[in-house]
Amino acid sequence: MEQHELMEQIQAIFRENFDDDSLVITRQTTAEDIEDWDSLEQINLLTAMEKQFGVKFTLDDVRDLENVGDMADLIVRLKG
Amino acid sequence: MENVYLITGATSDVGCALIRRLYRPGDIFIAQGCGDLAQLAPLAAEYPGAIHTYDVNLADPDNVTTFIQLMQRLHGAPTHFVHLPALRVVNTKFRNFDEDRFMLDFNLQVRSAIALCKAFVPAMAKAKYGRVLFMLTSYLLGFPPKNTAAYITAKSALGGLAKSLAADYAASGVTVNCVAPYMMETKFLADTSDLIVQMSAQANPMKRNARVEDVVPAMAFLLSEEARFITGVTLPITGGAAL
Repeated sequence: MEQHELMEQIQAIFRENFDDDSLVITRQTTAEDIEDWDSLEQINLLTAMEKQFGVKFTLDDVRDLENVGDMADLIVRLKG
Repeated sequence: MENVYLITGATSDVGCALIRRLYRPGDIFIAQGCGDLAQLAPLAAEYPGAIHTYDVNLADPDNVTTFIQLMQRLHGAPTHFVHLPALRVVNTKFRNFDEDRFMLDFNLQVRSAIALCKAFVPAMAKAKYGRVLFMLTSYLLGFPPKNTAAYITAKSALGGLAKSLAADYAASGVTVNCVAPYMMETKFLADTSDLIVQMSAQANPMKRNARVEDVVPAMAFLLSEEARFITGVTLPITGGAAL
């Protein structure tokens, strides 16, 4: 999957999760940039990504994620 | 005294473990499941004649009425009633609240409990002995997690019913209590992401989720003769995560 295609799908997950069609997500986006992005929303985002991309995250995988770019890289790594 | 246990949701991991924990020769278990009675086959083989299984959809009020009539005819009032059924928890934002699914869960958990208690608790009171126990959740203790409105609403109603019944029947030898376990690793979590299960374990002071064997002994105690002066309580079984 191309990087831009992956980012589009991640952005769609964020828009759906936060119910905001104007949300623009980049690799640098962090929880600081989205007011409602707390630990529970993080779980919702990650489980939505598991479903969307057919991957399974472990706690170790997600513990040090700092931004959306880290999430995208993790998905690429797990999809092999 | 011979005990007659009515256990709804008996096919669950907790239900099966509870039967195994409670069984004494002479006891009768009226065990309800829905499309999954095979789960009870090993117990029925282990305790011949003691396990009476019923396939009943408790979300359908007509089925509940028929079940009650059948029970009254074949077994009379139970001495113990344990109510376990619930639909699996689905994390959903409130804007996507599924009212049809909620009503199904409400019928399954609450309306069936009301009907069964209405049918049997007065008879327990007349016999001057009864134990009623409902399965709640640690989500009800303190501030609940987000996106669980349907589950919290139904469980809260069940908790309210337990408290009201405890007050109504306190003087008659009938106790009504609840247990509120932390996330329990059972087949009930089949639709829950492994990540959520792992995060829940990590967030617990004991660094793990609840196990069936943590919860069943506490249930057995609340159902016992020794718990005669305990009624209207919700016992947290949470490893200290919620008090």
